[in-house]
This record gives sequence, structure tokens and C-alpha cells, in this order.
Amino acid sequence: MMNMDWEPIWLTFRLAGTTTILLLVVGVPLAAWLAATKIKIKPLIEAIISMPLVLPPSVLGFYFLLTFSPASALGQFLEKNLGLRLIFSFEGLVVASMVYSLPFMVHPIQAGLENLPASWKEASYTLGKSRSITLMKVLLPNIKPALLTGIVLSFAHTIGEFGLVLMIGGNLPGQTKVASIAIYDEVETLNYAAAHGYAALLLVLSLVILVLVYRFNKRLTV
Amino acid sequence: MIELDLTLPRIFADGSGELQLRLSLESNSLTAFYGASGAGKTTLLRLLAGLETPVSGRIVVDGETWLDTSQRINLPVQKRSIGFVFQDAALFPNMTVRENLAYAASSPKDAFIDELLELIKLESLGARKPDGLSGGQRQRVALARALVRRPKVLLLDEPFASLDATTAQSLREVLGHLHQQFQTTTLLVTHNQEDIRQLADRKVEIERGRVKADEAKGPESAPISGIITKLDREKGYLETDTMQIRLGAAAAWPNDLKVGDEVSLLWEKRI
Repeated sequence: MMNMDWEPIWLTFRLAGTTTILLLVVGVPLAAWLAATKIKIKPLIEAIISMPLVLPPSVLGFYFLLTFSPASALGQFLEKNLGLRLIFSFEGLVVASMVYSLPFMVHPIQAGLENLPASWKEASYTLGKSRSITLMKVLLPNIKPALLTGIVLSFAHTIGEFGLVLMIGGNLPGQTKVASIAIYDEVETLNYAAAHGYAALLLVLSLVILVLVYRFNKRLTV
Repeated sequence: MIELDLTLPRIFADGSGELQLRLSLESNSLTAFYGASGAGKTTLLRLLAGLETPVSGRIVVDGETWLDTSQRINLPVQKRSIGFVFQDAALFPNMTVRENLAYAASSPKDAFIDELLELIKLESLGARKPDGLSGGQRQRVALARALVRRPKVLLLDEPFASLDATTAQSLREVLGHLHQQFQTTTLLVTHNQEDIRQLADRKVEIERGRVKADEAKGPESAPISGIITKLDREKGYLETDTMQIRLGAAAAWPNDLKVGDEVSLLWEKRI
């Protein structure tokens, strides 16, 4: 443990943290919209968001690779205009992780919002408050457990990514070599002691996070 | 004055049909709407509030057009000067009683919040969350919250429905008092004749989305006065120089009533 390279661990948590924060920004309005909308194509949108739940990560990684590779039109556009390369880079991992973990953020929040009495939202509107004020001050404070579940599941799911990271990130130390890749790397070179170090650390941290969540979830009910 | 002319396709208890309501409601009045469940009473309140939109119609409140489908005017719910009390009170559980009222106010320090808390006799419970209130207290807070913005129209959707008789009576008194004080034009949906008798100036029966009956309280008559010339308590008979009255045996006579006293008689049409 003492001689362990901590960089993959740090990178894993940086990736999970960044992904979770950005997913919160994207996922909350998306979940709120899905909970309220009666648009006909809602099932299609929900199915697209849920795709990562059933697709092998390699499928997602493969299409991500095709879409954002420097040889593709979009990849060239991003690199030329924004100086952004999404293949074999940390930024690319963040974007891919967001897509991959999107259902884990959206589903609990959407379900939490759908379970609130419609009269709370309507009462807020009749008091002159906008949709966004109603969301921030009335709806979200009353679904704290669902919010926490979304945050933790997204974080934990990103920590556990492997196939997708391997496909689009490769194994660049400090940039894309996260803990799950490091474990695979160490096993390949038969360095079981190092692999065990990473694996045990992830195991314990994940367990601690989940225990804390279950403990806090009981306290967060209003 | 509120003028309504609303049309909306709707599914009623016995099949689909069309809600079609045309009504004029006097300013400062309290009109009770009654009728079978699913007749369209709550829908009327929701249409007026802007929580639902009719396929065609017009709503004009004190000369201001809130809705006119022919001119594509449809004020959003937030822009309509309404207070809405829901059947389940719809208090926000994450806020205290005072915060629920302050949420609606333009400033959280608005003195009107404390005035309202005093009027609903809950000034001592301002710091309590809705979970710690009884059903009647919750409805009182909902009523006060709906009045914080001093709305032109107050919409009450069966606010007494889930309350026991004593609590409902106490809330009726609070509502009657608030209506007298603020004179807000009020629409009350109810199933209870007692609500109508005690509170309403007018009652409108809705059946399958249409007005079935519409009756207003008559104006009070001018009193007739007279000096008592004969009084027989046992027979329930009273005579003055201007009238003769025979009352039922159960009628409650004032104990100190005697020949030579002056009495006045006035009547109003009850609804």
C-alpha cells in the first residue's frame, strides 16, 4: 500500500466528482422537465437516457470513438474551434461518463419529483412563483433523498467504469488511467499485490460511501 | 365583477361531454358551487386560476382580460391575481408556517404576514412545520397564504372536506371573518349545505359542466316595528299594534320580553 501509485485513485475521484457536479447541473433540469412534460416523444427521450443501463459500455465507447475521433467531422470541428480533443483525454472521459451515468442521476430525481403532490407545484404557481423558483425552493428541498441517491449513484457508477474508459481513454497515466484500468494493468503484469491494493481501496471506499448515504437518507426526509 | 364564458371537452362520471359555463359574479361576493363529484366544479376554479386552459372562452376580472381565446390572450397562472386553497392545503413541508406565508409575500418582513397569522389565530405557531399542525390549522394557514398577495379572486376547493364538524365550523368562522374584512371576491366549491347557508351570497349548482341552478340571497327587507300588546308564551302567540305572529312551541323567546316592549321583524331569503 505504501508504495502504491496514488495517481489513478486521485484521477478516479477527480473524474467521478467532475462528472457528478456536471451531471447535477444537466440532470436536475432534465429530470424536472421529464417529470412535468406531456410531450408525445417522452417515451423515446426516456429510452435514449436509459440506453446506458442496457448497452455494453464497449458499444457506447465504440460510437463515442467514431463520433469524436480526430478523423470525424465533429472531432475536427471541436479541435479546430474549441481546441478540445475528446479521445484519449480527461475531458473526453468526463463527457463519456456523463452520458454513461446520466440515467443514474435523472431516474431517481424524476421519480422523486413525480411522487410529489401536484398541488405543491400548482400552489407555488398560484402564489406568483416561476417554474425555476418553484423547482429550487419547493420541489428540490422536498426530494433530498432522491437527490442524494442520484448524486451517489452517479459518483459510484463513474468510479466503477472500465470498458468505456478503456475504449475512449486508453491508459494514459495522469490523464485517463483511472483505478479500474490500473487494476487491469497490474493483473496483466501479474502484479497481484498492487492490483489488490487498488481493488481493496475501491471496495472499502465504495462501501463507506454507500453506508453514509443510507444513514443520511433517513435523516433527510423533511 | 368576474365574467366567465368557458368551453372545455371533459370526461364526466357518465361519459364524455362538454363543460360549458357562462357566469357573471359580483365583486366582493362569495359564491358557492355545489353539485355531484366530477360535475366540473374544481375544473371551473382551475380554469379561472389558469391551471387549465379551455378550448375556447373568455375571463374578464374587474375589466382586465385574463383569457380570450379569440384574441389569443392567456395570462399565465403567475400573472393572475388569485389565491387558491387546495383541498389538501398544499403547504410546503420544508417551510415553517411563517415561511409558507413569507414565500408568497413580496418581502419576507411584510407586516401583513403577522396580521394574517393573528387573524387566523396561529401567531404562536409561526415557527412550526406543517407536519406539526392539525388538519384545521393547516387549512387556516393555506387560507392566510392565499391572501398574502391580496388577490382579486379567492378560489377555495372544498377546504372543509377533510375536517370534522367542529373544526369545519371554526374554519367557516375564520373564513367568514376574513371575507368580511378583505371583501375578496370568492368562489367556494363545496358539498356541504352548511357552508352555503353560513357563508354564501349566492349558490350555483353545476351538473355535467353546466349551470343547473343559480340562486342568490335576497336583500334584507326593511324592518317592521311594533309595540307588544299581547303575549302568550304557552301558545307561542305575540301581537303588536302592527303585526300578529304565531311561533312554534320550540321557538326560543327572550326571557325578559313583555307587553309594552318594542319589537322589530326583518327577513331575508335564505339559500
